[in-house]
Formats: sequence, C-alpha cells, structure tokens
Amino acid sequence: MAQPEAPDRGIPLPASPAGSALDRGLGRAERSLVVGLAVLAVIFLMLPVIIVIPMSFSGAQLLTFPPPSLSLRWYDSFFGDPAWLSALLNSVVVALASSVLALILGTLAAYGLVRFRFFGRAVLEANYVAPLIIPPIIAAVALYIVFAQAGLLGSYEGLIIAHTLHSAPYIVLVMTVAIAAFDVRIEQVARSLGASQRVILLRILLPNLAPSVVASWMLAFIVSFDEVILTLFLFGNRETIPKRMFTRLELQIDPTITAIATMLIVFSVAALAVVYLLTRRGGRALLGQAH
Amino acid sequence: MLLAFNLPILLMLAWSFTNPTPTLSHYAYLFEVPIYLRVLANTLRIAAITVVCCMALGYPLAYWLRSMTPRRRLLVLTLVVLPFWISILIRTYAWIVILGNNGLVNRALVDLGLLGQPVEILYSELGVIIGTVNVLLPFFVLPLYAAMTQIDERLMQAARSLGATQRTIFWRIFLPLSLPAVAAGAILVFILTLGFYITPAVLGGGRVPMIANAIALLINELPRWELAATISTLLMLAVIGFYFVARWVRSRGTA
Repeated sequence: MAQPEAPDRGIPLPASPAGSALDRGLGRAERSLVVGLAVLAVIFLMLPVIIVIPMSFSGAQLLTFPPPSLSLRWYDSFFGDPAWLSALLNSVVVALASSVLALILGTLAAYGLVRFRFFGRAVLEANYVAPLIIPPIIAAVALYIVFAQAGLLGSYEGLIIAHTLHSAPYIVLVMTVAIAAFDVRIEQVARSLGASQRVILLRILLPNLAPSVVASWMLAFIVSFDEVILTLFLFGNRETIPKRMFTRLELQIDPTITAIATMLIVFSVAALAVVYLLTRRGGRALLGQAH
Repeated sequence: MLLAFNLPILLMLAWSFTNPTPTLSHYAYLFEVPIYLRVLANTLRIAAITVVCCMALGYPLAYWLRSMTPRRRLLVLTLVVLPFWISILIRTYAWIVILGNNGLVNRALVDLGLLGQPVEILYSELGVIIGTVNVLLPFFVLPLYAAMTQIDERLMQAARSLGATQRTIFWRIFLPLSLPAVAAGAILVFILTLGFYITPAVLGGGRVPMIANAIALLINELPRWELAATISTLLMLAVIGFYFVARWVRSRGTA
C-alpha cells in the first residue's frame, strides 16, 4: 500500500545521537497530539483519587466539589457508627486469616511449580492463575451454590476460604518469580550437607526471600480487604467495609464513604510503597502480568 | 486449594446441565427469552466501546512512556499503577462525585454556558463506560508499554538512514510491530469488561444491566440458581476462550 510521502515538517534530521532516537517515531504535530492524549489519560486515571480526598473533609451533606466548608464530620460519622466499626473488624479478621492462608498455600504451590518438573505442570500453573482471569462473579456463583449446600453461607470460614482462593494467585505470581530468581545451587549445597526439604524451605529459602514474602502477603491482604463481589454473595447478613460501602452506595449518597475512601487510599499507597521498596522484581512481575 | 476452586466450578457446570436430570433446557431457555439476549448485547456493546476508548487513550500513553527519561517514566508509571491498587469501589464512587447532576463536569458545563441544565451522565451507559475505561486502562497500558520496549530501536534507525520520514517509520514499522500487543490488550480489556459487576451496579444505577448483574439478580432475588449457573458457565467459557486467543496473539508478537 503506497502512501503519499508527506513533507518533513522541520524535524531535525537523524544526525542526532542514538539515545534521543526514541523520540523520533513521529513528526512534531503528531507528537503533541500523542503527548496531549497521554497526559489526558493520566489525568483521567488519577481524577477519582484526587477528587475523593478533599471531598472527605467537606462540611456539606451534598457531594459538591470543591467542598463549601471543611470539617472532620465524616470521619466522626465513621468512627461513631458501630455498624461501620464492626464491618471494619470483619474486614481485618477475614483479610488477615485469608492472606496468611493464601501465603502458605501460594508459596508452597510456587515452590512446587518452580523447582519440580512433572507432567501437567503448565496446566497446573494455568489453573493456579485462573482465578485472576475468570470474573469473580463466576467464582461467587459457584461458591454460593456449594456453600449453600454445605451450610457455609454467611460464615467466617466460608468467606475466608473464598478470599484465600481469590488472593492466592497473586502470591503464586510473585513467589514463582522470586523463587525462580533464587540460586538453586544454594539449596543443593544444603541438601548435600544433610538438610531435609523442610529445613531448606524454612531456614534457607524463606529467610532469603523475606522481602518477597512480606510483599506478596501485603498484596494478598489488600486484595482481600478490597474484595466486594465474593463478600456480597457469601457473607450473608454480615458486612465488611467494601460490602457496606457498596450496599450504602446503592441506596443513597453518603459522604461517610469519602472518609473511608481517603483512609483506604492512604493505606493502599503506603502498602504499595512498602511493596515497591521490598521487591522491585516481584512488583515488576505483577505489572507485567495482565491482571 | 486447586480442589477448592475447581470443585465448585465443576459443580456449577453440573447445575447448568441438570434439571435435576441431565438436560440442555436451561441453555435453550436463555436463548428463547429476549431479555437475556438484550443484556448480552448490552454487555458486548459496552465492552467493545470500552476497548476502543482504552486504545485511544492507552496507545498514546504507552508510546509516551516509551519515549521518556527513566526518572519521569518511573513517576508516570507509578501514577498509572497506583489506581490499580485502590479499590474499584472507591474509584467508582468518585465518579459519582464527578459525574452527578451536581457534579464537577455538569457544573463546569453549565457555568461555561454550554448547557442550560445538567445532563444525566450518571446512571446511563456513558457513565458505566467512563467507569470501566477508568478501571481497565492500566490493564491495557502496562502490557502494551512492556511490548513497546521490546521493539528494536535499530529497525527505526535503519529505516531513517534509508530515508524514511518520521511518519512512514511510525505507520509502516512501529505500529505494525506493536499491533499484536494492542490486539492482546484489547481482548484482555474486552473479557474483563464482560465480568464487570460493581461499575454497572453503581454507575448504571440499575438502568444499565450487564451479564454479571443479571447473574446476581438470578441468585439473590429470583432465585433461579440453575439459570445463574448456566450464564456463568457460558461467560466462563467465553472468557477462557478469549484469554487463550489473547495469549496466542501475544506470543506470536514476541516470537
């Protein structure tokens, strides 16, 4: 397909060093269009986060931006409401329990996937990561039907199982990368010196991978803490923070949610910063993965 | 762990095929009742529009990231990744503030005299699409950016030394090389949109039903579990199918 050769619009010719050559895919007019759209995209991504924080300090009942007056009343209305506090407690309990379980199971699974070669390994690996791709609504329906028959609907046990299944894939992802990067020869030396598999795992591998372990555990915690859909279906009358937020959202506009949102944003950002510092590699693995 | 995930899924499959005797009647029923087809059409349309919007915003963003200095790139990448880790619920909620009748956008439009009165952006398909694009844009940008960094800069230099213009280089070399990643990202965004529940429920205000909302309705309100299981099964097969297509496309791109 022959294109008409457009005249070169005053773009410096390629005598430039290779380093800046990255910039030179397009002409200048197109470049500003690209940068404009890109900046727009970043603003678009950040806008909700930027808006919610000042809104949480609003003194007004209506959601108007910028807030007409400043106050902490929505924080009061969160901490003064037993329903929100019990939701918070539920969230913390479920997130702690499920993230620890997911950490144990996910790390063992990752170790098996990286260190052992066996028939069906690829299928197994795909299966471990499958809950990331399959919409949570599907897992919610499947677990709902099973839990209803097993009498687990509305129970802590049931929800913890569900959240463990939901967050374990993140741990498998981070830990497979971390374990694969750990020199297998160190394990071989330990084994030749008479260490059992358990000693190798607990005394050698885990201490060395501590940053990844902590990072993946925090990811699992946040994933569970933010989870809505499974909780909505499986937790019966009990509430967690996201579930209560969601049910309140459907009913009416409640500015208390902006206060919670702000606290959760601060929490997530802090956690993300820690994760980032702890494991560049693990973080990169997550970013590279589509989900 | 595998058991705990796969078993319920298999049981769900069983539900969708039994009545309680083995049957395909649930599947037949779904295709006879127009409401389900309408919800399906609705979902597919929203997913397609979301994909187009993600491409329009995401491609320039990934391209821009590629051309940055490492320090700025880290900053912008952090900004792209950050919303990723903030609850979908919060981001969705923020759009109520922005898009509502009394929200930022409407007030700005009215104050500028562009509109006589606020338009309903919230609780419409447009609101839902804004929400889905907002949530899914990072899923599109990050893999695309990763793929773009793999494109060999020497190809462009070679083209330039042979006298190609900047525009030709982009359209004839860079764009074709990045297309597999664009296609893979588009499929990914598409399948993720299919399963969206929160965004349509909150930003659609019940007026923009998507598949996941229909499933929730069948479980919680009606209750018709066997139909919910049937729709879930179809959705899951579609998602897995598309996922493998995306993987295949991407692996061809990097080969």
